Amino acid sequence: MADTLPSEFDVIVIGTGLPESITAAACSRSGRRVLHVDSRSYYGGNWASFSFSGLLSWLKEYQENSDIVSDSPVWQDQILENEEAIALSRKDKTIQHVEVFCYASQDLNEDVEEAGALQKNHALVTSANSTEASDSAFLPTEDESLSTMSCEMLTEQTPSSDPENALEVNGAEVTGEKENHCDDKTCVPSTSAEDMSENVPIAEDTTEQPKKNIITYSQIIKEGRRFNIDLVSKLLYSRGLLIDLLIKSNVSRYAEFKNITRILAFREGQVEQVPCSRADVFNSKQLTMVEKRMLMKFLTFCMEYEKYPDEYKGYEEITFYEYLKTQKLTPNLQYIVLHSIAMTSETTSSTMDGLKATKNFLHCLGRYGNTPFLFPLYGQGELPQCFCRMCAVFGGIYCLRHSVQCLVVDKESRKCKAIIDQFGQRIISEHFLVEDSYFSENMCSRVQYRQISRAVLITDRSVLKTDSDQQISILTVPAEEPGTFAVRVIELCSSTMTCMKGTYLVHLTCTSSKTAREDLEPVVQKLFIPYTEMEIENEQVEKPRILWALYFNMRDSSDISRSCYSDLPSNVYVCSGPDCGLGNDNAVKQAETLFQEICPNEDFCPPPPNPEDIVLDGDGLQPETSESSAIPEANSETFEESTNLGNLEESSE
Amino acid sequence: MSMEDYDFLFKIVLIGNAGVGKTCLVRRFTQGLFPPGQGATIGVDFMIKTVEINGEKVKLQIWDTAGQERFRSITQSYYRSANALILTYDITCEESFRCLPEWLREIEQYASNKVITVLVGNKIDLAERREVSQQRAEEFSEAQDMYYLETSAKESDNVEKLFLDLACRLISEARQNTLVNNVSSPLPGEGKSISYLTCCNFN
Repeated sequence: MADTLPSEFDVIVIGTGLPESITAAACSRSGRRVLHVDSRSYYGGNWASFSFSGLLSWLKEYQENSDIVSDSPVWQDQILENEEAIALSRKDKTIQHVEVFCYASQDLNEDVEEAGALQKNHALVTSANSTEASDSAFLPTEDESLSTMSCEMLTEQTPSSDPENALEVNGAEVTGEKENHCDDKTCVPSTSAEDMSENVPIAEDTTEQPKKNIITYSQIIKEGRRFNIDLVSKLLYSRGLLIDLLIKSNVSRYAEFKNITRILAFREGQVEQVPCSRADVFNSKQLTMVEKRMLMKFLTFCMEYEKYPDEYKGYEEITFYEYLKTQKLTPNLQYIVLHSIAMTSETTSSTMDGLKATKNFLHCLGRYGNTPFLFPLYGQGELPQCFCRMCAVFGGIYCLRHSVQCLVVDKESRKCKAIIDQFGQRIISEHFLVEDSYFSENMCSRVQYRQISRAVLITDRSVLKTDSDQQISILTVPAEEPGTFAVRVIELCSSTMTCMKGTYLVHLTCTSSKTAREDLEPVVQKLFIPYTEMEIENEQVEKPRILWALYFNMRDSSDISRSCYSDLPSNVYVCSGPDCGLGNDNAVKQAETLFQEICPNEDFCPPPPNPEDIVLDGDGLQPETSESSAIPEANSETFEESTNLGNLEESSE
Repeated sequence: MSMEDYDFLFKIVLIGNAGVGKTCLVRRFTQGLFPPGQGATIGVDFMIKTVEINGEKVKLQIWDTAGQERFRSITQSYYRSANALILTYDITCEESFRCLPEWLREIEQYASNKVITVLVGNKIDLAERREVSQQRAEEFSEAQDMYYLETSAKESDNVEKLFLDLACRLISEARQNTLVNNVSSPLPGEGKSISYLTCCNFN
């Protein structure tokens, strides 16, 4: 589009992660002129979610990252004598140690069928409209990549007993062979594929009863659109800062959420459900009557622990783990409270931290359901986008695929005054928000980054089978040896709109001590087994089987003091990438702090005017619809989240 | 929860290149205004109009792009849970027609598979500057299995018809899917809003 950007703004935001997006929304809401850019083709940076093919393109991008040759106009000429430039990085170095493993087998017949259907549909498109060259270009590549896959993927021949070896090969192949995958937005099956994905499973169910559980790699590719795979795996605490902000700002109207349905624990090689609500405790079959009373008594105390200082006085200096031992709790209960409720470990938290975490958990319980957590449908990656929408509604200008070459700094005032973008356009602004990954190596040479270890698995069944196959679970696997960290496992079912029917999407996260695979594989092996033909025949397999797995390390740039970045002008603010924590409080706090610096003493994301009120203001033409009752009705609709909360708490207690 | 004053609520989302008249269509329909007041769209997330069809009150929630289409940066979340999409181009602008397949790809990827898509060629009041023939557009919409209509937001041609026809189709679709149109879950999309979810959990 031949549209050009205005040359002046109040705030320029570089990067569309959650903290940047919230800040952009808040500034725009407060009347600032906001330009929000991202050099990538998608929203969210490391907070993004991808369809399956989108994820493969993302992986490919990381492999090719080093080859990017810039043909952008030279900006050096534009820098005046009294100015200096801070060049921004052209490469993203936040992702490392990427490893992909495919265990699912390839069904050639299905492939052919699918490719044919696609071809037909696209022939139609192109004949009806002779213009789209990219359209016809896209299909053959998809086709080709599928067929190369089928040749290269040797899962069926690899001995199931030796995953290490075979997988190494496969992994290399999968990532290597995706070269032909086109832009993430373009290679998803078109409508006809969509229709098929709706129909095919049904047809299979009736005609091929005995094989019903087989999921092939081509099916995953074919239904790739069904996946929304988060790069960071987080949940929303139902009383966390993000939920409060979503409700306050009305941004919640852009997203939909689901409750996490259960909290799991992993003990002695078994996955079991943790009772957390009062009803759960009483209905639990794992706990004895005595344990139930003990647990209820302890949890009731934790709810209001501040009122009973005598109960913890003298224990402040020891760990929560040691403290729990002093309480009237069986080892069973100590484990549950420590790992599944306080979600901490033996060594990391003090008594006070543990009590606080337990209280927070209990406090969040029952606001929206039986567990303290919510998950956004279509993945965590929706959230930054929701705030971007709000920013745009208040006039913010959005440009993806738009990179910034440098920040221009005035030598005398040491303030940043403009950016120079990829087209050589100079855009001036008062304030500049830059996400950490955009800074060059020079700039961050003194910064010590931590790393997050991540794994993403596509599996064929839940880690804990129940009557319903639509469970959303969180499981904490404690660290086994000193120096390593507890692993957080979040299992998503297909109704979260993050994976295809019949599969589960499993996210593993921990603070890195080694590479992601080294950190997480032991836990993966405890909970899952690779998917092979052999075991399909033997229906008695208990553990879920992995169809596909991805490991990677992500930079954790949270909690880094701005003084670590060299020569940062005072009006350039740094936003961090995702942190390792479960909630999103860190992002909200950052955004609010930055907003207060940019717009001191202004309200942070106040509720926008109700769209229904605005319509009624400018409009006397609809007597039948604009009767006075319409306004309260409208209000009750828009604010129903918050009004519901009160009722809920009561009903849950 | 209070009884809502409508039988159906549908979310309709407009897409298409910048400058094809999306906002004008919405304004014309919801407020009878043309051209829309400058700057008035700031802070307006969506527009509402309640219409009566065969004795039933249908509330249409009509969402505009908030300018994010200008640099091809529409958020995916914009498409989620839409019941209908109005894909708009400008009959006097070949380029806006040529971009349609690109828009369709976005729809395929992000919108619900149950979504109804209508193709709209706007600005028929500028017939003397027409660049895209009606026949071409009809052929294209047929191939894509879309309903097609030409409108003029300026002259108010076919604007009512566009939205009312769409409302009718949405109603019959909702009935066909035997979706009980739950008032607390006004969007019969694939997801649930926070509020609906909470009600369910405590039954």
